[in-house]
Amino acid sequence: MPRNETVESLDLDEYKYHFVTKDNPVFKSRKGLSEAVVRQISAQKEEPEWMLDFRLRALEIFNAKPMPDWGGDLSTLDLDEIYFYIRPQDRMGRDWDEVPDEIKETFERLGIPEAERSVLAGVGAQYESEMVYHSLREEWEEQGVIFESIEDGLKMYPDLFREHFATVIPPADNKFAALNSAVWSGGSFVYIPKGAKIDIPLQAYFRVNAERMGQFERTLIIAEEGSEAHYIEGCTAPQYSTESFHSGVIEIIVKDGARFRYTTIQNWSDNMYNLVTQRAYVHRNGYMEWLDGNLGSKLTMKYPSCYLMGEGAHGEVLSIAYARDGQHQDTGGKVIHVAPHTTSRITSKSISKGTGRSSYRGLCKVYEGAVGSRSNVECDALLLDETSRTDTYPYIEIDENEATIGHEATVSKVGEEQLFYLMSRGLAEEEAMAMVVRGFIEPIARKLPLEFAIELNRLIELEMEGSVG
Amino acid sequence: MANGVTAAGAGRDVREGVDDRLEAFLTGIDEPGFLTERRRAAWDRYLALPMPTTKSEEWRYTDLSDLDPESFEPFPPAVEEGTAAGAGLPEQAARLLEGMEKRSGVAVEVDGAVVHRRLDPELAEQGVVFAPVRRVARERPGLLEEHLFSSDVAAMEEKLWALHVALLTGGDVLYVPRGVRVPEPVHVLRCATGAGAGRLLSSHTLLVAGESSEITWVEEYLSPDLDGELLSLSGLEVVGGDQATVRYLALQRWGRGVRHFSIQHVETRRDARLSGLNVNLGGDLARDDVTSHLEGPGSESEMLALWFGGGEQHFDHHTLQHHAAPHAYSDLLYKGALTDSADSVFRGLIRVDRGAQLTDAYQTNRNLLLSEHAHATTLPNLEIEADDVRCSHGATVGQVDEGMLFYLMSRGLDRTRAERLLVFGFFDEVLARVPVPGVQARLREAIGRKIGI
Repeated sequence: MPRNETVESLDLDEYKYHFVTKDNPVFKSRKGLSEAVVRQISAQKEEPEWMLDFRLRALEIFNAKPMPDWGGDLSTLDLDEIYFYIRPQDRMGRDWDEVPDEIKETFERLGIPEAERSVLAGVGAQYESEMVYHSLREEWEEQGVIFESIEDGLKMYPDLFREHFATVIPPADNKFAALNSAVWSGGSFVYIPKGAKIDIPLQAYFRVNAERMGQFERTLIIAEEGSEAHYIEGCTAPQYSTESFHSGVIEIIVKDGARFRYTTIQNWSDNMYNLVTQRAYVHRNGYMEWLDGNLGSKLTMKYPSCYLMGEGAHGEVLSIAYARDGQHQDTGGKVIHVAPHTTSRITSKSISKGTGRSSYRGLCKVYEGAVGSRSNVECDALLLDETSRTDTYPYIEIDENEATIGHEATVSKVGEEQLFYLMSRGLAEEEAMAMVVRGFIEPIARKLPLEFAIELNRLIELEMEGSVG
Repeated sequence: MANGVTAAGAGRDVREGVDDRLEAFLTGIDEPGFLTERRRAAWDRYLALPMPTTKSEEWRYTDLSDLDPESFEPFPPAVEEGTAAGAGLPEQAARLLEGMEKRSGVAVEVDGAVVHRRLDPELAEQGVVFAPVRRVARERPGLLEEHLFSSDVAAMEEKLWALHVALLTGGDVLYVPRGVRVPEPVHVLRCATGAGAGRLLSSHTLLVAGESSEITWVEEYLSPDLDGELLSLSGLEVVGGDQATVRYLALQRWGRGVRHFSIQHVETRRDARLSGLNVNLGGDLARDDVTSHLEGPGSESEMLALWFGGGEQHFDHHTLQHHAAPHAYSDLLYKGALTDSADSVFRGLIRVDRGAQLTDAYQTNRNLLLSEHAHATTLPNLEIEADDVRCSHGATVGQVDEGMLFYLMSRGLDRTRAERLLVFGFFDEVLARVPVPGVQARLREAIGRKIGI
């Protein structure tokens, strides 16, 4: 059964991804960031004038904005040591045979071909900065679904692209959104036409390879009225000794009555700074769900957000964070109620182990006039060691009296009674611990596609090994 | 910050002539050198620090850009007790005093001058000290040197704290020796009259509870509505010795025109039990910064607050439950109701240090919004570095329950009255936790008056 093979090959042993494939980039920009680098990127991509202007304006904003002084520690992040653009080959590979052997080998080890043959429908796999492999099932093309690399989206659908690009996350939103706007490269352009219902998830694999290479993927998704789709993004990165940096921008527009789910499982190697801005505009009766799993990286700062712009819109954020030794997961979610009768829910579960630190940071904002809005936030944190740390930083700003807002958080350790009970039934302490932890994250894990749920469970088993005694 | 005061006079000569506002203020004041040195060091800090702006997290929701502390003239601190020239008891204070029974001690301060003070003689015989800060500094400096202004104030509060220390206009010390139980509350009224417009009032309270002693402290701030502005800076430091029981209550019912800043630090030693309640009803702006340091194993701290805001009132509450020792317990319950265009902020943090195992810490903030223009912001935070803990927090923002309103209205109450009654009920959860009957009744009366029941 291919699905099982996929799972086998996605074994989550953290050292397995520690390999480095020899690469031979066609073009590599200079280290560091300057106007010349931005012009070079734009020229390489043969972009229209307006995009170059947009990039240059964003660069100015980036230079003007101070580094954030909250959240994680960014003091060891040196942007001058980063390559802002690498292009591994000259053109898109549409057909698997056209993909270079070296890159294929990397994917082979990640199990992409199997995934391709099984549940995956469209795969945009990102090796370094550009989409090198892209396919889409025929029936979707017939339905008018667009799933292209962001570069091709700009080339092939210039008007549709320009109408929506940077409307959800303008460059001035935050320093890293500005940076991404200046140097973005790679990512997906997705368009789901009115009424189209896509059952099988659209999936993109991301991969960063060259040492010290920044990856600035940019994804723009437009879900037209009454459409339904699910997009999955999974990340792994090989481990290096110097810091690495990933700063993506994901924009989603959920139009009237549309339903969209965006799933991210990030398992970057633990030298990665992962600073991502993810935001969705949700229009009348639209439904947006972020499923956000943060397992890897050195520091992740990511708060997927839903702006509930139309009456009856619903926003949902399910966040799971796992911080082990040396990791800081600063994650959470934001829900902004702009229109009346909007509803939202944030559910966050975090586990901290060893010297790991997980922080929930979130915002629930209800504007005056958003009458009848309801929001509920629940955060649970599990601490596995006396050196682990957890924080909860929710912001709740309410300007409307006809709204019902609740927030709750608990922090606990694995209960002695629970362990005792399981061990009295014959489980070893390690197994018992893994079972309790699995039970803790179950409400989120069950929403994941099967292979991700299995991955997550395997990871937890792996992590619990040697965690006792 | 106050511990950093040691280098006190060092920069004096350099600065001489550049800024002698503090020296002018101190002219003619008879107080011991260590107090003056602490003032000078604080003044240096005050001058060195920038005013907090809404760009900082801690002041994000409270804008001080139109506050110029130096435009306020401090009340003269020189007047000794009972000699306040012509400062009669304001009618309001006199009335309050009349209705006040069963108090182990009482003091009334009007426009910075103490006009009345009483302590049960038998308590004085047992070694209880209840006196103005400056007199204690002169007569029993040993009681103060360790504790006065010793709080480790957060960086973003330091500017106002330094100003409070430097320009201290009055305040009280209550010292209770080991094993002594003060049976009834000690009650201090701090009043301003119409003459308070344009003035600065800086009052400090230091409560030192010896081992196994017991204190109930009530401080009440009141004034009529003022024609101008009054700046009130208040500080409260509580040291609860081993197994001591300390309850304190701050009832803020200033009139219009007052901006009130209160910094409160509580420290618990082994098995000490502390309980603090802040009630904010008056003023244009009130900002409380309340910290409980649980330093002793087995200690407890209860932190309570109530507020009711109307008009354009702005209330900002910052709290820290700092668990430095294992086996300690803290429980915070802050409840507020807002009407008109009032707004409130709650920002609370539970911090559990590594090693503070078996901590039990809870934090709850509940808000009622009674009008469409009222705003509430709540930020309940946790930072946990020990793994064997039970911590939780909850925050809600909502309205009065329609079902309950309907019930009361079906019994013949009009909507406004029914709503007020429900707000009163909403507050009762907190009031019920103030186990001092005389104080409870007084609070109910003050709140009822404010709500309009």
